[in-house]
Amino acid sequence: MHSVVLTKGVPDFREGQVSFDEDGHLERGKTPTVMNPNDKHALRAALQTKVRHGGRVSLVSMGPPGYKEILQEGMRDVYADDCYLVSDREFAAADTWATSITLSAALEHFEETPDIVFAGFKTADGETGHTGPQTCWCMDWPIVTHVVAMDVDTEAGTLRAKRLVEGDVKEIETVETSLPAFVVADPEFAPSYRTAGERLTLKDLRAETKERAEEYEETLTMWDHEELNLDPDYVGLDGSPTIVSSVDPIPKAPAEREATMVDAADEEGMSEVLETLAPHAAD
Amino acid sequence: MTLDPTEHTIPELGPKIKDIDDVSELEEILQKEHRGENRQGAIALIQSRIDKFSEDDEDDDDGEIDLAGMSVADVGNAVRDLDEVADLEALLEQEETGEDRDSVKRLIESRIDSVQGSDEDADEDAEEVAAQTPEEKYPELDHPTADKKHVRALDGGDYQDMWVYCETQQGELIDVSKEMLGKARQLMDTYNDDYDADEKVVAVVIGEDVEDLAEETIAYGADVAVYTDDPTLSRFRLKPFTEVFCDMARGAGHEFGREDRADEEWHDYDEPRYTVFPATNNGRDLSATVQAELDSGLASDCSDLYIEESMISNPAKTGKPGEKVEFQRVFHMKRPDFSGFEYSTILCLDKPDREFHPQGASVIPGSFELPDPDPEREGEVVEHELPLDESWLDVEVTEFDQLDDGVDLTGREVIVALGRGIGSDPTKGIELGLDLVDAFDDADLGLSRGVITASYEFDSHVAGYVTEERQIGESGQVVEPPIYIAVGISGAVQHKVGMDESDTIIAINTDTDADIVDFSDYFIEGDLFEVLPMLTEAIESGQMDVKAIADGGEVADD
Repeated sequence: MHSVVLTKGVPDFREGQVSFDEDGHLERGKTPTVMNPNDKHALRAALQTKVRHGGRVSLVSMGPPGYKEILQEGMRDVYADDCYLVSDREFAAADTWATSITLSAALEHFEETPDIVFAGFKTADGETGHTGPQTCWCMDWPIVTHVVAMDVDTEAGTLRAKRLVEGDVKEIETVETSLPAFVVADPEFAPSYRTAGERLTLKDLRAETKERAEEYEETLTMWDHEELNLDPDYVGLDGSPTIVSSVDPIPKAPAEREATMVDAADEEGMSEVLETLAPHAAD
Repeated sequence: MTLDPTEHTIPELGPKIKDIDDVSELEEILQKEHRGENRQGAIALIQSRIDKFSEDDEDDDDGEIDLAGMSVADVGNAVRDLDEVADLEALLEQEETGEDRDSVKRLIESRIDSVQGSDEDADEDAEEVAAQTPEEKYPELDHPTADKKHVRALDGGDYQDMWVYCETQQGELIDVSKEMLGKARQLMDTYNDDYDADEKVVAVVIGEDVEDLAEETIAYGADVAVYTDDPTLSRFRLKPFTEVFCDMARGAGHEFGREDRADEEWHDYDEPRYTVFPATNNGRDLSATVQAELDSGLASDCSDLYIEESMISNPAKTGKPGEKVEFQRVFHMKRPDFSGFEYSTILCLDKPDREFHPQGASVIPGSFELPDPDPEREGEVVEHELPLDESWLDVEVTEFDQLDDGVDLTGREVIVALGRGIGSDPTKGIELGLDLVDAFDDADLGLSRGVITASYEFDSHVAGYVTEERQIGESGQVVEPPIYIAVGISGAVQHKVGMDESDTIIAINTDTDADIVDFSDYFIEGDLFEVLPMLTEAIESGQMDVKAIADGGEVADD
């Protein structure tokens, strides 16, 4: 069983990490890069597969050489065996379609076809949710998206998963498909380790990977556009159908109410608030 | 026996010579090409291979180029590798004093212009680049390159109309389908006025027993409804739904279309100019694969759409560095971006040598008004029959179940909503919020989008509360309770639209400059980790005791 996990570095949007310039625009350069939070769900799905069925897990990311550390972080989380950075100035400023063409070329560049490719849902910066389905579309594999639980039948070569459907009501579907397959994990994906054996394997893997992650560059392979045989006009900015024409700070809402300012330590003011709330108190 | 390059097209030639690394053999192949068809692309390809394996000789090549005896094509290749104006000017002089061929001089001059990036010739330059085949431009790659097999564009299309993918669930159009139809109607009415055009709103419905639903789309604003009815498609499946949609979109006789396609009447409406999809789990996936299959782009999760001209300076789109070009009838797709920090406007634009149509968008449910149906409206309903290929059906839905309605925050007396103010101890923040909820008779917990996207690590006993279904605002629920308590929420506009109809709004925040002050009735200045327990205690006991905070004095110092 060979799984590949796609991951991306994104700005760290946690409180206090984000920088804005004077016009209220996000300053990407000053905001630290971390692994896309949603990719952790893809990592967890891949890890669960490795613990249950063994095999190899590879991490693939596309980005500048500085993203190597994202792969290191990912390697620790998913106990990966090796990692690949798809990196070339020609790939810069790609939208989802140009990214997907590039990533699919990378996935097809593995000597042997992987069994499962895992991707996270939206990235915290682009938030499109398109890259997984479009990458898979290029490879013409079966795809299961919004996966909250899954398992593989290695003998039958099939995958069974539960996925979330939205609409006016929420539904959960069970789907089956054959391998190789593409899995997009939902943020609500929950891994499960049912047996003591699985939990023990997990513990062993953790110890083993901790060492490997320290020396992650030994297992790192870089691929550029020549290696992947990609036409620079079809990747990066040049290959992107879309551009961002403008970015506006979210406008400030006009003042509509005159707030009574209350100091939390002011008994009188707080009592007035309590009077408003008291009629709704539980019995 | 040496390979004869003239027996192969240029794309074939790359793979053929890929394994030849003997320079003299390559030289021989090059000679055959020179004597034979003498194609510039083929020469460049073979030459690049020779260069790769004769690195030792490279210095000689670079040092001096002897133009005498070189063909025009050879000169073209040779000068392409030169980036120094001085070197090029020396060559020009050499030619003038030598054979003085006009074509060679033009080649060198044009290279000088291109290196200098001279503005006046930018146009010609761009055209020249665009006219070059990938084989000529990138001889070092194996052609066709790996990307080309994914490009199955609607090239050279006569793009018209706005297509709306109408998602259905349990035998009904879902609300966002109707909202999109209403918005598409408005957009195309304005469009037809502005451009004196007669373009349509085309509804696309795919599923089992969907003819009635297709008819229903007319009442919500469609001019034409196209549907495909197949029992195999009773549940959404990405592959066949994408294939059906793209089959509808491709004109008769399209290069990538079906060969057996009937020349149906409604094909007057194929080749969409714009496509709109719901930003639901399935709708968003479909938008991505449809636009990929048609080799075009899209913006996801939009909250506003409009059509107008746009001045573009991006040379990747204009092909003219340093110049602005006006693009017509551009779909402007506006979306909250970067986890809600900014609005971005996304455009999907053709390149000089590659068309990116249709321009696609997915729309956040609830962004546009739900229109009232007009049963009197007339339109055309057309069935699009398409035999499904077995290979499209490799993902099978074996079971499905409706989930519980989930969290409904509307209709509560009190909503306690938490924002990023809980960031210093997110688990504690949720616990305190839940305590306050419990103190009320009929209350529930809401969250700002910031909490959902912040990727805080929560302890397992509260993690279950942190889900998108508790999100209040533009892409979440809209509530208007008698009491709304906004805890540690700064008050971004997207949050405001989800709660500003509440009767009484009470904000708890340390920052008196936070935007929320402008739409609160009470603004309690204080640390939520202190104020929440105090408030919970007061509501339970009916007595307000602020001593804990007054004594601690921490808030006053902040």
